[in-house]
Parts: sequence; C-alpha cells; structure tokens
Amino acid sequence: MSSARRSVLVVEDSDEDFATVDEAAKRASFPNPLHRANTGGECLALLRGEAGDGFLPAMVLLDLNTPGLDGREALAAIRSDVALGALPVVVLSTSANPVDIAECYALGANAYHVKPVQYPEHLKLVTELLTYWLTTSVLPELEEIHERQS
Amino acid sequence: MSSGADIPSTPVWNDGPYSVKRYGVSITNCDSEPVQTPGCIQAHGVLFVLRSSDLTILQVSENAERWLGRSPQALLGQPVVGVLGASAERRLRSWLREGSTEHNPRHLLTLEATDAQPELELTAHTSDGATVIELEPPIPTDVSAPDYYALVGHSVGRLQGGQTLQHFCQTVTQEVRRLTGFDRVMVYKFHEDGHGEVFSESRRDDLQSWLGLHYPAEDIPKPAREIFKQLWIRPVPEVGAELAELIPLTNPDTGKPLTMTFCALRGPSVMYTEYLQNMGVKAALTLSIRRGEMLWGLIACHHYSASMQLPHAMRAACELFAQVVSLQHHAAEEQEHHQHRIEADRIHQELLAAVTSAGEFTAVAASMSHLLKVMQVGGAALFHERRWSMFGTTPTESELDGLRRWLRDQPSFMGSNAQLFATDSLSRHYAPAEGFAESASGLLAVPLAINAKSLMLWFRPELVRTLKWGGNPDEKPMVTGPHGPRLTPRKSFELFVQSVRLTSRPWQQFELEAANRLRILLMQLVVSQVERLTELNAELSRSNEELDAFAYVASHDLKEPLRGINKYAHQLLEDATLGDADQRKKLDRLMRLTVRMDSLLDSLLQFSRVGRVALRFEEVDLAEVLAEAVEIVEARQSEWPTDLLVQRRLPIERCDRSAVREVFVNLLSNALKYNDKPRRIIEVGYVVASGSEDSLDARQHNVYFVRDNGFGIHPRHHQHVFKIFRRLHGRDEHGGGNGAGLTIVKKIVERHRGEVWVESSPGQGSTFFFTLRCEEAGNE
Repeated sequence: MSSARRSVLVVEDSDEDFATVDEAAKRASFPNPLHRANTGGECLALLRGEAGDGFLPAMVLLDLNTPGLDGREALAAIRSDVALGALPVVVLSTSANPVDIAECYALGANAYHVKPVQYPEHLKLVTELLTYWLTTSVLPELEEIHERQS
Repeated sequence: MSSGADIPSTPVWNDGPYSVKRYGVSITNCDSEPVQTPGCIQAHGVLFVLRSSDLTILQVSENAERWLGRSPQALLGQPVVGVLGASAERRLRSWLREGSTEHNPRHLLTLEATDAQPELELTAHTSDGATVIELEPPIPTDVSAPDYYALVGHSVGRLQGGQTLQHFCQTVTQEVRRLTGFDRVMVYKFHEDGHGEVFSESRRDDLQSWLGLHYPAEDIPKPAREIFKQLWIRPVPEVGAELAELIPLTNPDTGKPLTMTFCALRGPSVMYTEYLQNMGVKAALTLSIRRGEMLWGLIACHHYSASMQLPHAMRAACELFAQVVSLQHHAAEEQEHHQHRIEADRIHQELLAAVTSAGEFTAVAASMSHLLKVMQVGGAALFHERRWSMFGTTPTESELDGLRRWLRDQPSFMGSNAQLFATDSLSRHYAPAEGFAESASGLLAVPLAINAKSLMLWFRPELVRTLKWGGNPDEKPMVTGPHGPRLTPRKSFELFVQSVRLTSRPWQQFELEAANRLRILLMQLVVSQVERLTELNAELSRSNEELDAFAYVASHDLKEPLRGINKYAHQLLEDATLGDADQRKKLDRLMRLTVRMDSLLDSLLQFSRVGRVALRFEEVDLAEVLAEAVEIVEARQSEWPTDLLVQRRLPIERCDRSAVREVFVNLLSNALKYNDKPRRIIEVGYVVASGSEDSLDARQHNVYFVRDNGFGIHPRHHQHVFKIFRRLHGRDEHGGGNGAGLTIVKKIVERHRGEVWVESSPGQGSTFFFTLRCEEAGNE
C-alpha cells in the first residue's frame, strides 16, 4: 500500500471550501496531505497518471460545479474507466436540486452531500464524512487492478 | 284559410260538373277550387268548343246571343261555319292542320261586323283535342295602335343594366306599368316555403305602398300556381264582371268539363275575385316569372280606376316581356350572388390580413361589422379558447353556453367531419331558443374544431321583427266579400306574420357557401394559432430551462461566496483576541444575514421548481395527504397546537400528491406560525360547491379550507400575501418565514386549474380556501 493509497483527492475550485476540507481532515486526524484538483479535467489527469506518475487515492471528494470539465463529467469518466470503476466518489455540492442528486447517483456516486452555508455545520459535515469513509467503512483494494492495467 | 290536406271536403256540386257561377260562393278551401275547369267564362266574349274533326259546335257560352244574335240552343250541334263564315272557317282548318295548336292560343283573325254580330277577334287553340274558339270585341283605341314590339324591345333594353335582382325587378315593374298603364305593378316573389313577398313595386303616386309585405302561401293556392307554370299571361279585364256558363257544362263527346287553363276568357277563381274586389281592384293582369319548371314569382298588375281591356297586341307584348324577364332574372340574381361572393371574399381577405398582422385570432373582431353585413345577419358569436366573443345582437353568454352544449351533442356536429348547421327556426330544434327568438330565430352554426371546442355562430333575428305593415294604420275598412277581411292585404299580412313567428329569413345556398369559405379560413387560423402556440410553448420551455439554469447557477455561485463570508465571520468571532462586544455583535449579525440569504435562495429555487416540475395527476386520498403534511409540520414545529380539527374525512381527488401535500404543509405551518393564542386551533375541511348552472362546467367541486384562530390578515393585504417575498411581519417574528410559502401554494393550485383565496380580518383568524380542477388541467 503506497502512501498515495491513503490519500484523498479533493476536486474543488473554491479556496475557502478546500480550506474547510483541509481543516476537517486535521480534525479527523487524517495524517496524509490532501491532493487537490481545481477542475474535473485535472482530476481525471491525475487519476489516469497522465503526468507520468500513477496516482490512486483512497477516495475522491467531488464538487460538481467546477470550471471546464465539471464534476458530473468527471464522475461519468471515472465510472466508465475499468481501472477506476470501483473508486469511491463522494459528491459534495452546493446544489440541493433533486435533479442533480438523482443524476449523480445514477452516474455511480457513492454518496451525495449538500454543503451547508454555515461554517460550523460545513466543517462538521466534512469531518464526519472523512471519518466515515476513511475509518468506518471498508474500501476496495484497487492498486493491483491499477497496476495490472498500467 | 285551412289547407286542403287535412279537411276532407265533399264539394257541394258533388261529382257533377263545376261552375264557378253556380257554386263559387260555397268554396271555403282555396286548394280545392277547380280553377282550371271553372265551367264559365268572363262575359266580355264568347267561347265555343268544337269537335276538331268536323268543327261541329259542342259547347257554347250562354251569352252567345248577346254577341252573335243566336241562342246557344240554335248553335249547338251546328257546324261552326255558320258563325264564322266560309273564309274564316278555312283559315281555322288550315291552322289546325299546321299542328302545335294544343295549349297554344293563337290570335287567328278578326271577324268583320255583320248585321247579326259586331266585329270580333278570334283566338283559337286546342284543349284535350277539342278546338276552343274565343271571340272578343276589339279594344277601341283613340289613336292608332302603338308598336308594342318596339315598346317591348325598349323595355327589354332597360332590363340589361340591373346590378342587383332588386334593381332588375324594380325595372320590370316600371316597364310593365309603362307598357300597360296599370295603376300598380308588383313583382311578387315566392319564397322557398311558398309564401310570397312584394319584392318590387311601381304604383300611382297616391296609392299606398305594399312593398316588402309578405303573404301566406295560401293566398295563391296550388291550383292557381299550377296554371302559372303553364301560362305566361292572365288578364281579368273587369273584376267581378258577369260570368257566362258553358252550355252544356261538359263536352258531350267526352263527358268532361273543358280545361280552360289557356283560355283568356277563363272565369276567374272566386277567391281571387273576392280578394281583388276587397282591394278595390277593377282590372287585373298577371304575368308569370319562371325559372325552368319552377314558378319563381308573378308580375301582378292592378287597376283601380276602371276596368281595362287589353288589346291582343299588348297581351302578346306582355307575354314576350314575361318570357324575357324569366330568362334574365336568373342572370340578375346570379350577378347579385357573384357581387356578394366578391364582397365576401374581399372581407375574408381583409380579415386574414388583420389576423395575420395582429398575430391573434381575436383580430377577427375588427372585420366583424363588415362580416355581419355581408352575411346579412343580426349578430355573431365566436367561441374560441373557452371564451365567447359576441358581435351585434346575440343571445346572452349563458344562453350561448346552453346552445353550445346542445350543438355539441348533435350527431352532425360531432367528430372531425362536422358539418354546418343551419336553420331558420331554431326553436323547432332546440326549445330553449324560444327564449331568445328575437335575436336568434335563425342560426348558422359553423364548427371550427371538433366537439364544438371552437365555433362560429351567426344569428338572424325573428322575421316578424323586421316586418312592418307599410300601409296607413287608419285605413278604412272596406265592405268585404263572403270570406270577410281574410282576403285583404292587411289581414292576410297579419296571418303571415302569425305564421312566421319564431322564424328568421332563410339561409340561402350562396350564404351557406360564404359561411363555409369563411369556415375554412378560420380553421386555417385556428391551426396556425395552434402552431404558434406550439412555438410559444417551445420558447417557453426554453426560457424555463434558462430559468432553471439561472436558479441553479444562483444557488451555486451565490451560495459559494456566502459560505466563505460565513466562514470568515465565524473564524473572526472565534479569534480570542477580538474582545470588543460591539464588533462581536456585528459579526454575529453578519453570520445571521448569510443564513437568511441562504434561505431566500432556497425559496427561490423551490418556487422555480414548483412551476416547472411535471405534475402527475392521479386519484389521491387527501385524508392521507393531510396526515403526511401534519407529520412534516409537526417535525418542523416545536410547538404543535393543542387542536387540529378535521371536520370530516377529506375525499379522494384527482391531483398531484406531493404538490398538494406541499400546499397543506405551507398552509398548516402558516396557521401555526402566525398565531399567539394560548390554544391554537386549526380546522381543516371542505365544502361542496357547484359551478354556476349556466356555465359549461356545472360539475360540483370541492372547496378545501384551512382555518386558524391566529392574527388574521387585514383585507388590504389579502392579495399581497400570495406575492413572492411579500411579508406582513418582521423577519424574525413568528418563526421568520421567508415569504414564499403562499406563493408556492398559489402556483401549485393554479397548476391544478384551481383557485386559492383568503377570508380574514385582523384578530379574527384566517381561512385559506383552495380548489383543485385537475381533470381540466390533465387535458392541457
């Protein structure tokens, strides 16, 4: 298990929101640094190792409305990639629109969360979900599949 | 006067031969009078019936002695040569050999005066094989006889210029009067139902006008009409003059009475004579106007000052004129219809242009006054998109609704192949129409879409409304004949008026054609409007999608910075070094503002979604929906009231379940929120109301209500409460609603084609009512 295996990829274009996730990670006592992608496109590039180095996080925390290739498209691309198909993707979005929620689950999101406007709530939510996904739940072993593919 | 059909009458003359002179007075039924075999002639001439083979006298009029100096008894059985002389007899024989003598009277010669007899004009024809000779004294003329053919030629020339049938007929009456010198000449037109109308008139200036008067069909009985289908001219030179009976009344060879249809001397009908006498007419002349086999009308000439003998040449001229009129009046009518069609088409084009440029079907209204004129109607009503547009004089809207319901159920009116429905007596088909007979005795209904969803109605007023007795109301009654005043123009007119109650002027073929052309045009407009609506709908859904996108972006893009602001305010507040209580208060306020803005954004989103989401209509148990709503509200509200009263179990209604639940949730939470009573009471129930009886949708429907004992709302705010973000209370009072709840309620109810309203006053609590009419909504 590489160190990257234990990392979280945060797809987020807002610095404030990324900082909140960072703060939550500290509170959840998550030791490894977070990886950040500003857009859906960046996210895919990182996951596919287009920069040369294969990178496989434990999970993706995905914001929907990012510039360029947005979160929805990134999610669809992840789910249609054999190597990434089982990668847990948790959507964290401003939108409470039922259409968005239904669409994300249909595309294969593992969970959908609405970002609260109030900071304490926002922080609490991200802390809890990181704790849940990284400690409470059991995640799939993706490395071998990834290596076999590459 | 009763019609011959229902009264079995045994004539007093039984089966013996009829004589108008002997039995005329007993006639009570016009249609039974044997006018073609009257057995008598007018006594100003003599009539012989000869056996055609040997010219033996078989019958002779009883007045023979006066003109010929020999009694009928002396003449009967004798060869006619003894009366005519050898040369005239030869002329007669040779003419008979020529053929085409049957029913074709010919002025053959003039018998010169002798010691025994005056000069006499001889006319001959054959009837049922027997030879009929009519002898009349020549008409003395002061000046040399005018050239009647030239006169007729001149008159015919004048007929050419007619623009309309009316104009044509006016010329006819003027020319006939000029030609004959009668005091009054009328064109009497038969309508389709057989009744007659004085269509044009030329009269001596001092006479009353009878123009435009209508008379019942019985006034010119069937037998008389039959005669005029065969005969061009019928003179009665001296009304009420002595009659001379034929001796014997029947032909001894055949045992039959003489058919006198073509005899100029034929004894007139007793009814006709009485009618003329009642009118003070001294002499009459009738010409027929025919169209093919049909009798279209008559040219009726009356002379009041004296009897009037018409010279043979003039009669021939009149006959020729009547034939020309018969040939040409059809052309005049066609010309008029053609003009009418052109005018109608011009208006249709105008209408099309108006509607096209206005882009709206209702632009039809602009051309309506023209259309009413061209369709010759009193009013019209257009039903389109559930609304009536009325023009001119029409029944009321509720009467129209009833009529439309009835039309919708007529077989001819249903389905895609719906036909025009035209009647000149609507009440005969649809009894309630009697109530609005004045404005709409005549109906022309034009379907523009199936099942009367769109239709055009044309109305004609009751005919009697437009009929007026033209004569002097103080006209002195005359001494009338045995049938009393029945046989006078005035009485007859009144009888006609009675007979046409509840009927309008009939719809003519060319008018139906015009209505049909207009129908096609209107249907095209309806179709193009549907296309337009489809386009608008597409546009609307595009802009809805844009709104959706906007709301989405608003939620995200506005909320993101909002979250940032909230975060920094929070972090600043947590900073221990910041001790200033005032600044802490401001930061706290800042955070609360972000929360408030967040809630507003959520409402905006929810509201935009309510308008867009497709509703699913199904049978929904509203009792269940209410229970669910109560549960939701209970979860949100810390203090649930002591009492929720549900008067009776709510019914099952066709609606969208979650939308109506949203309605209850909003109304219940408002009822709770705006209430400071120690014991809050909310009452939920419904009442059954029926639509107005006259409206098309007279079904019963439920009116639901949610009543509270809260603050109440001043009536001046009743409309405002449904407006988005319109608040009546401070932001943080009463649980701080965001002002979108009732707007959402209104939107949902409206999408069910229902209505929502409030009854309330301050301190009295509020009752919110709403209705759901989703069946209609489902068809949208």
